Amino acid sequence: MIIEGGIVYDPINGVLGEEMDISIEDGRVVEKAGGGEVIDARGMLVMPGGVDAHAHIAGGKVNTGRIMRPEDGRRGTEPRTKLLRPSTGYTVPNCYAIGYRYARLGYTTAFEAATPILEARHTHEELEEIPIIDKGALTLFGNNWEVLECVRDGDLGKLAAFVAWGLRASRGYGVKVVNPGGGEAWGFGGNVKGIDDPVPSFDVTPREIIRYLMRANEALRLPHSVHLHTNNLGKPGNYETTLETLRAVEDIAATRDRQVLHVTHMQFSAYGGTGWRDFESRASDIADYFNKHNQFTMDMGQLIFGSATTMTADAPLEYGNARLLKAKWSNHDIELEESSGVVPLVYGRKNPINAIQWAIGLELALLTEDPWQMIMTTDHPNGGPFVNYPEVVALLMSRRKREEEMATLHDLASKRTSLPSIEREMDWNDVAIVTRAGPARILGLQEKGHLGVGADGDVSIYEINPEKVDPSRDHEVVKAALARAKYTIKAGEVVARDGEVVAVPQGRTYWVDASVPEADAARVRADLVEKFAKYYSIQLSNYMVQDAYVTRPRVVRAGVI
Amino acid sequence: MRNIVIRPRRHFRVPVEAERISPDVFAPLSIEEIRSLEVWEGNRRAALSELFDISGDDGPGRGDETQISLSGDFSRVKRVGEKMTCGRIAVAGDVGMHAGNGMAAGEILVDGNAGDWLGREMRGGRIKVLGDAGDYVGAGYRGESCGMRGGEILIDGNAGDYLGEHLCGGAITVLGDAGDFPGIANRGGTIVIGGDAHLPGAEMASGTITVGGRARVLPSYQYLETVEIEGLRFKKFLGDLVEEGKGELYAASVEEGRG
Ligand SMILES: [Zn+2]
Repeated sequence: MIIEGGIVYDPINGVLGEEMDISIEDGRVVEKAGGGEVIDARGMLVMPGGVDAHAHIAGGKVNTGRIMRPEDGRRGTEPRTKLLRPSTGYTVPNCYAIGYRYARLGYTTAFEAATPILEARHTHEELEEIPIIDKGALTLFGNNWEVLECVRDGDLGKLAAFVAWGLRASRGYGVKVVNPGGGEAWGFGGNVKGIDDPVPSFDVTPREIIRYLMRANEALRLPHSVHLHTNNLGKPGNYETTLETLRAVEDIAATRDRQVLHVTHMQFSAYGGTGWRDFESRASDIADYFNKHNQFTMDMGQLIFGSATTMTADAPLEYGNARLLKAKWSNHDIELEESSGVVPLVYGRKNPINAIQWAIGLELALLTEDPWQMIMTTDHPNGGPFVNYPEVVALLMSRRKREEEMATLHDLASKRTSLPSIEREMDWNDVAIVTRAGPARILGLQEKGHLGVGADGDVSIYEINPEKVDPSRDHEVVKAALARAKYTIKAGEVVARDGEVVAVPQGRTYWVDASVPEADAARVRADLVEKFAKYYSIQLSNYMVQDAYVTRPRVVRAGVI
Repeated sequence: MRNIVIRPRRHFRVPVEAERISPDVFAPLSIEEIRSLEVWEGNRRAALSELFDISGDDGPGRGDETQISLSGDFSRVKRVGEKMTCGRIAVAGDVGMHAGNGMAAGEILVDGNAGDWLGREMRGGRIKVLGDAGDYVGAGYRGESCGMRGGEILIDGNAGDYLGEHLCGGAITVLGDAGDFPGIANRGGTIVIGGDAHLPGAEMASGTITVGGRARVLPSYQYLETVEIEGLRFKKFLGDLVEEGKGELYAASVEEGRG
């Protein structure tokens, strides 16, 4: 395949809006293709396929959301066609709709952000049913008993061996940490209040859990860093916890060419105030810190007005949400590993808290100077569904659009945040970074997020001419073009054309196989035999994700040896 | 007023999804165009004229001057008048489930019985049924946190179970009896039942339910006083206390053996 004459943005290879041809053969970008389909992309925007580094798209809590929300299922229904299976849902779409809708947006890769090992089989069963895109899942470690015990005993070797085993057991890609210690405390109806608050029964603190997991992550040289959902997330005044957490790990160095820690959906962790009455943005404090510490990255967790379904392993947070909003609530105990919760809600423009939250996400993205440090997400479907990414990009590219939106919001969005004074408008290079190159680099996906020779042949082409359209003024044009890719190409095959899905290949699932010294692995195995005999409701032999659950794996090797 | 008459051509063995039968859809169309509208009969797509005989005044016309007269057995024809914002639908006979779904304005008159989910999630307008109505009148469909938010539903006969579930506004009047749990999870609507009712107002947060006949009252309701309304004496209760509710329940007669 040859994509001819498009205006290409490929930041990893330093291509900034150059007219050039892209050749793809056997699913990969090559110097020159021998033949095949020719796509005329003249006057159109060409970028690597979009990469979503954080979305909740598969597994137990996603499905709980579907079960709790039949009313959401009725939104966005599309009947089956000769090619496509039926679609349902808006915030919690069915598996097919997830693949189709990413493809329509020009996205070709998405990672499920939180999977307990115990429920990883379910996650993979759903990932297998999501068509078209490549995917992977991050595995939860921050409240696991084996982790807490290794931290308590100061046994880094065993911890690294357990992380390697956990990734293998869950066919997971990276280390996710959610409200470390808080999930375990929730088993007793409690929570941790800060990074130095001890976890009941284990005599460890969140600070120690985060530090040890980061050190294990780096010892294993994993492609992705630790991916952290901070303590006190969602609470007024939590920016102090966030900054305290970052300061607590400044001395830890990455062992690969990437960040040492990714703090996810930062919008929910950048709050000031002592309560909801004096709730305010502290986005500029967070952005200032990031501007001085380039070893850390974050994603937006942008809020989208309208319906959302919050779902997280942060179960005490969801209990608070449900009580505050009198909303439907699901609570889940995941044995020795985590707890979790699901609460549907509606973000309102005239709700002062929601209006401020909306502004905070944008402030974070625009005040963080280096786009490689700050990628675009909505924490789908916590901040809002991923189908709204074009809206977020339009907001990042147009101050005029931000002003138009702010005029429709509760006026505290202007008074308690710095958004009205922010002039910055992202350009197409910034957008290519925060939606493609950045997420790929942060995840450590070498063949994603760029169009250099050897990269995956994942390309998105949009019917918008970056040389003619002024995104600041014509933000509606930008949003419309990004919502319906002219072409989405996955591994050299056109999967969407004019915003419609035209082919439904099966993507691959990334997971990380990390090697560790046999002596450490043996010590972990001995612990696990005991834990399964004593505590788990299932047998160890029924726990591991077998190969049958991941039919098209893409295994990334890492490890100590 | 422009009148369009629709008669079933045959007996329907499976339900017909007829959300296109609405003054909003019909108003800008000629009779010929209305005939070619598509509906689903079970899993089969069909032109409206394959299933129904369509006659009457030719169009186009204005929505608020459009009347649709349904004549015959429409008991398996669903979603008539869905989301309508104007005009009038008059049914001579029975109408199927989900009539007047989410309607915002206009009027539906049923000279017969209505199926389940009549006027569910209705925003405004008026529905009158001369016969009986099924379950979930004015309710929110599965999962919704709000049923009817505005408008008026009048039922001359009896209503089934879960009358006005998750009501967030509007008014429902039933001259006959209501089944189990009328006004369940009421969040601000008004329900008047002329006859008897069983366990009204479970999980009610706010709103008013009046039962002119006998009511079996939940033990989570607190008796306040006896009041007189339009010359009749009612026992007034506060609840549902399980939800710390501030709803008002009036019952002319209370069935003993509470709970
Ligand atoms: Zn998340």
